Amino acid sequence: MNIKDRFYKLKRDLNRWSLLLLLILAVVAIPILTIGLKLFDGPGESWNHIVDYVLFDYLQNSFLLAIFCSIIVIVFGVTTAWLVSRFEFPFRKQLEWLLILPLSVPAYIMAYAYAGVFGYSGVFSNFMELVGVDSFRIEFMNIYGLSFVLSISLFPYVYVSCRTFFLAQATNLLEASRMLGISEFKSFFKLIFPLARPAVIAGLVLVLMEVLNDYGAASYYGVSTFTTGIFRSWFSLGEPETAIYLSAILLIIVFGLILFEKWQRRNLNFTSAKSSKQNYNSRLKPKMSNQIWFSIICFVPVFLGFILPVVQLVIWVKQTLEKVWNVEFISITLESFGIAFLTASVTVLVALLLLFFTKWNKIELLKTTSKLGVLGYAIPGIIIAIGVLIPSLYLDKWLIERNITSKLILNATLIALVYAYVVRFLAVAYQPLESSSLKIDRSLSDSSKVLGKGNFRTFFKIEFPLIRTGLLSAFILVFIDILKELPLTLIMKPYDVNTLAVKAFEYASDEMVSSAALPSLLIILTALIPAIFLNKLLLKNASNT
Amino acid sequence: MKRIIYLLLIAVSIIGCKSENKEESEKILTVYTHRHYESDQELFKRFEKESGIKLNIVNASADELIQKMSLEGKQSPADVLITVDAGRLYRAKSQDLLQPISSSLIDSIVPSYLKDEDGHWVGLTKRARVIAYSKENIDSTQLSTYEDLTSDKWKNEILVRSSSNIYNQSLLASIIANKGQENAENWAQGIVNNMARSPKGNDRDQVKAVANGVGNLAIVNTYYIGKLLNSEDEDELKAGNSVNIFFPNQETTGTHINVSGIGVAKYSPNKENAIQFIEFLLKEEAQNIFAGSNYEYPVNPNVEPSDILKQWGDFKEDKLSLNELGRNNKEAVIIFDKVGWK
Repeated sequence: MNIKDRFYKLKRDLNRWSLLLLLILAVVAIPILTIGLKLFDGPGESWNHIVDYVLFDYLQNSFLLAIFCSIIVIVFGVTTAWLVSRFEFPFRKQLEWLLILPLSVPAYIMAYAYAGVFGYSGVFSNFMELVGVDSFRIEFMNIYGLSFVLSISLFPYVYVSCRTFFLAQATNLLEASRMLGISEFKSFFKLIFPLARPAVIAGLVLVLMEVLNDYGAASYYGVSTFTTGIFRSWFSLGEPETAIYLSAILLIIVFGLILFEKWQRRNLNFTSAKSSKQNYNSRLKPKMSNQIWFSIICFVPVFLGFILPVVQLVIWVKQTLEKVWNVEFISITLESFGIAFLTASVTVLVALLLLFFTKWNKIELLKTTSKLGVLGYAIPGIIIAIGVLIPSLYLDKWLIERNITSKLILNATLIALVYAYVVRFLAVAYQPLESSSLKIDRSLSDSSKVLGKGNFRTFFKIEFPLIRTGLLSAFILVFIDILKELPLTLIMKPYDVNTLAVKAFEYASDEMVSSAALPSLLIILTALIPAIFLNKLLLKNASNT
Repeated sequence: MKRIIYLLLIAVSIIGCKSENKEESEKILTVYTHRHYESDQELFKRFEKESGIKLNIVNASADELIQKMSLEGKQSPADVLITVDAGRLYRAKSQDLLQPISSSLIDSIVPSYLKDEDGHWVGLTKRARVIAYSKENIDSTQLSTYEDLTSDKWKNEILVRSSSNIYNQSLLASIIANKGQENAENWAQGIVNNMARSPKGNDRDQVKAVANGVGNLAIVNTYYIGKLLNSEDEDELKAGNSVNIFFPNQETTGTHINVSGIGVAKYSPNKENAIQFIEFLLKEEAQNIFAGSNYEYPVNPNVEPSDILKQWGDFKEDKLSLNELGRNNKEAVIIFDKVGWK
């Protein structure tokens, strides 16, 4: 095709959605581009030193961490999702939503709690003493402990996406395979696991991005990862240029992950609005001994990911409640809640626009590049903060110079904070929306359009009701993430606003981990409400279909 | 849908304006601080009451605050910057973010080695980096200097936190300044060889590890021991009671000290309030609070340290210009990486 043809094709395909899509992509990309432009300044003078002495360590640790975490979250996430959606066993209903709860415990808080549990005279060593094994200790603060702590707080990402898949899609296929005489377990490995791959990987990509972004837990456990390296070269060496170079490498890795996810999904078009309408409540009832095993298997991650750390936090809260609890706390809680609510709404809206503008736009190239909009999730919060600060300050200065405003109206206000959050968490909202919209049978919206309804009508009448679950999951996931977010909030928050995460961090970095327990518990409790709600929603949706 | 969007927009603008409206009429001071101790909250409240100046507090690590100030440039709302070590104040100064303070009161209170030679910053409290040793297994006569910690007799005995920590960076920077780069590198290598375990946790965790027999010596800041001894947590109390404090290098350069300090931002919109604030923090009342509830050594010579600190006795301080800590900070980080001090 020559250039002229291309141009005509472009001109033919260009519509207002393409332009709006470009606009959104541009807004989201500004912070990332700012960082990108900074790359041209070259790395700092210590770059060679980094390459010689520490880069290999960063790569190796981050790689090992990614591998360990992937294994653990898949084992926990897929197994439990399959058991609860496929079998009937005691406490299944309760376990079904309990399994989401670890998501409400931020990884850095999980890290503090587990350090306490396995610390000297912690819950674990007390227990060992009780059973008569004195002075037996597990050294927990290393890369294995870190992998465990990260995995156990993140596996619900895989659990939720797999369960959604199992609930909506798998039943009829399993019925078929059962009729053909294939055992349940065999069909799990032969049929369900391969089919669930997109769901597993969608969840896994989220987990890996969180793992690569983690700073609090890794630095507390003394494991040098890419992200701790970025902080170190930025702050300890005082070379933002070097930090940006390291982030660029990290970005390439993440970009690779995203391409991989795209590629593995290449020909698999899982659309089945019809099949999910079919009977649903056909959970198998295995024999009693197996049922009990299933209950236990599902209880283990709940215990490790929620009950144990919460018990540790409660012990600490009992010691520190008097000191920490006051009126200020209530207002901090409300502020956290308000910010999370506001930002989650905006983020979901932007994700929705991104998704549908992409769909309505006809330029192929834009369709593929729209994925770039969700890259923010892979970039450490602190880098996004700087990426937002630079242009927003520039704009502020520009406005002040022209006497349009008299002071900074973006920097250190909620606007810049929300903007940074949106860039950071767009992926979290986008993934569930995308996967739920993939499930919509294309013929539905096509028919609507054939019948002369426009994009908007079709969206509100057909697609919106069908992706409502995805929409709410998106909202809830972002909400929880924002409650937990730390490094970005620290640097972007308005002066008179405080969040629970910031408060918890202040205590922990002041070596008062036990005082951090109360704000931590409050984060967990606040995140619990939407987590339970999310589950109700999934259930309701499943029983409706 | 539209209605929701409108509602959200209204919500954004309300909260967005929240900070704007209040500031117009009042006297204010914006404090960028790395300190987040309870004692500071108390001090800030007292200052607001006494002066009628409203404080806007921005808490973050000094590095982030410096980065923020340099991005904000002339528009920065920051009036003062408080850090927990002198090296960061040096960095802020060398990035041209601070301005000289002239106040005869400040000059008369603070001894010259605890402030910047050009008056860009001044120390508020002192902390010493000392050796906490196991009461049970170690006799103080076995200890002498930081350098001695690298000798073979301390194999597998030393507990110290990660080199990302500023207190370790400043300690090594002081050794670079006192003894030269090569000796400093040998020292760091020697410590790594003698470590009881790979560095992890914070200063308190090192003392807890001593209490539990992981090693016998921990390199920690003084005020953490004070906090452990006054903790409500039994483990912490036990850990605090299991160690004694040793001030190293008494016969030579003196024990390494650092300050938590304050500087006035170059583009401070409320410079007079800022100086008033600093003077307040240096007077006896505030210095007593620093000393009493946070177990730091006051910089005001008229104020006594807390009882626990007095028990440990007087010691010879390393009077190296604290700017050297900042000047050699980067070199210190590079040495840490080279010798594999995690």
